[in-house]
Amino acid sequence: MNDGKTRYGYKNAISGFFEFPTDNARRILPGYLEPVELHHGTSIFAMTAFDFTESMVGPYGEVVMAVIVSPTVKPGERLPKSAFYPYLVATTTKAARDHAIERWHLPHWMEDVGVQFQQDKGRLTAKVSSGPDPVAELTVTDHSWSPVSHLYQSFMKDGQGAFLANIVMEGSQSEHEEELGKVVLYEHSFNRDLVISDVYDVPFRELWMKDGRQTFDPLITLQTV
Amino acid sequence: MEAAHKKAEGNKPTFAEYDYSNFYYGAGDDPLNLLGPFASWYEEALPNGYYLYSEPVHSAPTTRVQIKDRKTGQVRDLLNLASYNYLGISYREEVKQAAIEAVHKYGLGASGSPILSGTFDIHNELAEAMASFKDKPAAILFPTGYSANIGFISALMRSGDNVILDQYSHASIVDGAILAKSKTLFFRHNNPMDLERKLLKCTGKKLVVVEGVYSMDGDVCALPEIVEVAKRHGARVLIDEAHSTFLFGANGRGVAEHFGLDKEVDFHLGTFSKSLGGQGGFVCGSKDLVDYVNAFGRSRFFSCNLAPPVAAGLLAGVKIVEAEPQLRAKLWSNVAFLRRRFAEEGVDIGKSTSQVMPVQVNNDSRVFAVAERIQERGLFLQPVTYPAVPKHKSRLRISVSAAHTEADLEFATQVIAGVLREEGIVR
Repeated sequence: MNDGKTRYGYKNAISGFFEFPTDNARRILPGYLEPVELHHGTSIFAMTAFDFTESMVGPYGEVVMAVIVSPTVKPGERLPKSAFYPYLVATTTKAARDHAIERWHLPHWMEDVGVQFQQDKGRLTAKVSSGPDPVAELTVTDHSWSPVSHLYQSFMKDGQGAFLANIVMEGSQSEHEEELGKVVLYEHSFNRDLVISDVYDVPFRELWMKDGRQTFDPLITLQTV
Repeated sequence: MEAAHKKAEGNKPTFAEYDYSNFYYGAGDDPLNLLGPFASWYEEALPNGYYLYSEPVHSAPTTRVQIKDRKTGQVRDLLNLASYNYLGISYREEVKQAAIEAVHKYGLGASGSPILSGTFDIHNELAEAMASFKDKPAAILFPTGYSANIGFISALMRSGDNVILDQYSHASIVDGAILAKSKTLFFRHNNPMDLERKLLKCTGKKLVVVEGVYSMDGDVCALPEIVEVAKRHGARVLIDEAHSTFLFGANGRGVAEHFGLDKEVDFHLGTFSKSLGGQGGFVCGSKDLVDYVNAFGRSRFFSCNLAPPVAAGLLAGVKIVEAEPQLRAKLWSNVAFLRRRFAEEGVDIGKSTSQVMPVQVNNDSRVFAVAERIQERGLFLQPVTYPAVPKHKSRLRISVSAAHTEADLEFATQVIAGVLREEGIVR
């Protein structure tokens, strides 16, 4: 299918959305992006883990650490559900890392990481490690499932410029705010952008998608001051 | 309830996939960019349930109301479970008569700011009556409850100070902290341990703000534990008793009185729109406090004062509350009756222990259909859904009044439990 889109198939994609201080969010974000605030002074840190089964570079695991930002809205275009600024991405293979850096300008942890998914009934945990060291653990729980097709935006910035990707996530989705999940962030240089004690460790929202497809539109170059 | 799950047509945002939260943030070149997507979404949201909001009331908000159905245009007579009016005061003959006499004496409005030409004798009488009712040296009035919170918090707190709020705080409290430009921290709802964690991060002036009764869940503030933590960390405590003044405590002063913490709580704020069914807000405290807020409460300073006929009606209402403690007794009897009947029928009202009862539907896509069926069967009450409450925590909010009869509440139970059972929400 040569329509300029890039597709990835996944078995599981889980996200936890956590409260953390807007001061911390602003330290991470480039000046042209505005954090979405859950409450005044409280922004949103999102950790996402993917179990990709199909891609141009084969199956791999990926973890994305991001700040939720204000999406770009244009008249006549589909309204995004939300927008992410991934400030650190890590993958289980070098091929996946090289691919994402070249194609999507995503900032990466430059070593392979381990991403292990452990499912226990209605819970899924993604354990991320770097060498022998644990880095982070994200647990989400399920609720009701329904098929969805949602548009998200991802903002990227590197030495070559600033970019925007429109991403459609399709699959079976469970989303809730029961506050049953958890994140454990270990003292590790992987987490150096966060003041760990300021991240509330129970997600106010948990998202779990299964057996779906992630589709990237061609990257858009942004003009920023 | 057709089309709730209608598939996207091109770029049109579908009702079921979006909610108000999706139309708040949007970067771009034009501040009007969000209007089109919102209008497109709202066009579908309106017939699918949002028409249940802002339905025009064609009568006094007594226990029965004439409601114009925004979908059909018909005016229907419904049992009212949606209006505050917890003591059934606003339509009492004495209240209406006081307001009518004030219209004859003062005309319509105050025609001025309270600090210039807009303070009338009736305002001072009402403030004195409130101070006396709350057993405080002084009281100051605000034109609304919203302006009371934003005016009071921003009058007292400054940039660099700390305002620590319950995560379920009313918007007026949050906006007060924003207007004060203070550092704002939220603690988990009614959780003194998390409050302590937040206070440990604060240096300098600290104000902890709680509500007596929380308006979406109807639960009562864990005031003893919260006051203890706040005092241990040198923080002042403000309680907003919007939904508890005139109801809780031996004298009806509120939740602070109920817990015997009237003196330990530093600032007492409330509204006239809930228990009295009127309008306006107030803060009670020392004369020095009131003088300071009079000088620096910008939301009051730069607003026209409360309309004198409203102030006169409120004064009559306060006198009724003082003279008729049986109204409170009737309200709590009604609350107990409805709680018991809901428990018998398996209707979930969450953590409510007050006259505010959330009937939990816990299904965001069906809450409007449930609300619509309940209204069709004769009840006026409204759905509350995300983002006003967490996802999948949608509910129907009930306000119990002393004016309801047990027959009213039995009818309400039958309708609500019946619809929830038909929808499979109650087994």
